[in-house]
Amino acid sequence: MGRIEELTEEVVRLFKNSGYEVDRRDVYNRLKLLIEEFKVPEDEAMRTVKNYLMKELDVSREQLIMESPLVKVADIKAPGQWVSLKAKVVQLWDSSSPNVSQVGLIGDETGIIKFVIWAKANKPQVEEGKCYLFANVVTDSFGGRMQVNVNRNSRIEEIDEDIQLPPKELEIVGALIAIQQNSGLIKRCKLCNRVLTKGVCPIHGQTESYDDLRVKGVIDDGENYYEVILNEENVRDLTGIGLEEAKEIAMENLDRTAVLSELKNRLLGRYYRLRGMRGQRYLLVSEIEFLKADVRKEGEEILGG
Amino acid sequence: MDGRSFKREIARRVFAFELNKATHKIESGDRAVQVLLPTGVSCNRVFIVGVLLDREETRPDSDFWKVRISDPTGVFRGFVGRFQPDALESLLKIEPPEIVAVVAKIRLFEGDTTTVVTIRPEVIIPVEREVRDYWVIETAKHTLERINRMRKGGNELVELAWQVYEPDLDYYEEKVKEAVRTLLDQHAMVESETEARESEEPEEVSEEEEKAKAEESEVESWEGEEELEGVEDIESVEREEDWELEDIDEFEFEEEEWDLRDILGE
Repeated sequence: MGRIEELTEEVVRLFKNSGYEVDRRDVYNRLKLLIEEFKVPEDEAMRTVKNYLMKELDVSREQLIMESPLVKVADIKAPGQWVSLKAKVVQLWDSSSPNVSQVGLIGDETGIIKFVIWAKANKPQVEEGKCYLFANVVTDSFGGRMQVNVNRNSRIEEIDEDIQLPPKELEIVGALIAIQQNSGLIKRCKLCNRVLTKGVCPIHGQTESYDDLRVKGVIDDGENYYEVILNEENVRDLTGIGLEEAKEIAMENLDRTAVLSELKNRLLGRYYRLRGMRGQRYLLVSEIEFLKADVRKEGEEILGG
Repeated sequence: MDGRSFKREIARRVFAFELNKATHKIESGDRAVQVLLPTGVSCNRVFIVGVLLDREETRPDSDFWKVRISDPTGVFRGFVGRFQPDALESLLKIEPPEIVAVVAKIRLFEGDTTTVVTIRPEVIIPVEREVRDYWVIETAKHTLERINRMRKGGNELVELAWQVYEPDLDYYEEKVKEAVRTLLDQHAMVESETEARESEEPEEVSEEEEKAKAEESEVESWEGEEELEGVEDIESVEREEDWELEDIDEFEFEEEEWDLRDILGE
């Protein structure tokens, strides 16, 4: 096979992988004309022919990239990138939209990310617990979280590898720099345990409720931040204020938000050592304590180093 | 909300002497305005633990307070107003001098001749002395790490910091170590005091020393004061920006959708 034939083959394959048939004869003639007759360098000739075909077929450059770079979940930081990843399907959610074929979470050893397979993509269904190569998927950002979208130019292939998910438990040291709304003495719906907002459950409306104590906050170590949820036990361990004490504070002050003010005064701005289970957004804390640091020793290490 | 990413800004650990040297703003479409630190990282938020030296209302009944917070290397200056209700509420309860933990946004005011860095506390809360001690250690570690990265070079922000600031890294390193030394000296003093229980008011001395040091570095780093006073209607400038920022911070996603308790076996 001559050089021109090879190049022709390359162009045809490129478009075929993206689902487009091009006229081999036409490609050959164009390349031959540019390279042999006009002495255009090979790569310029290739580019010219590809551009011509893209315009003819109305295909964007991104759609033509044969295989997007293989990345890890943790590398996905910006929307609008074409990437490929090997990942395990962690969980499938019920899709409420007819435009969505499947939605859920996939993960590798570096993290977990939401994925969406559009109905239009026309792909076979994936199964929970199985591992796949998700080739040529597009990164996107929704509600502040990254996700990947599977479109009709993507490819999903089951692979014979067992991909590990990230360690679910991690230990961090950092400062509590924010306590978010819906913290303190809260009310939960008796039917679904969701937190009521202004006495109303997002699912069941006005329902019977019960009291609970928790803190939703942000731990920041200067390099990363973690959104954490402290349950009643965690809060009691740290402050001595459990659900009963919290109710008393609320009664004494005739104000439930007095509990939150008290917790803010005692907890914000301090350093902690904590362990917890990582979810998609929140770290569910299992153990937490105020940091006890040996300042003298650490200080001397800094001066000695 | 226009679909941009609501990733929270990390709270950097930075000493006053370094922050006060920052003059360079980094603006990019999808992120909040950042300030480039002389040690080559971008910074939009800080976590500080230091001594609140004083609070002063800019005009009577304006509810707009000027604050000064000292660390072993210098003074952070900032403003607290109605648009940080939590910070304002707790600020008014604090009688300075008092050790406080502060989470704050960074603002740069560009005057005609100088650029002034101020902080905009979101949280300001009295804390224990141990918290301040650990903050000095942590901030020293983080700053030394940044200094090392500056020495190695290579990343974009590091190169930019070299261009903009040409920092004397040996001087920076010395300032950081001096802060740690001050801390350890104080420690030694407090310890010997508790043992002997009769040394002459050592804690007073150390606090005063710290203050004196703060005043000193203030002279160096605060030529911008006049400029700042001159910034017309500083409150209204702040106001507009803050609406936007507050919206972002308050933005909450429905947690239930992301709650993974079931797969985590809870």
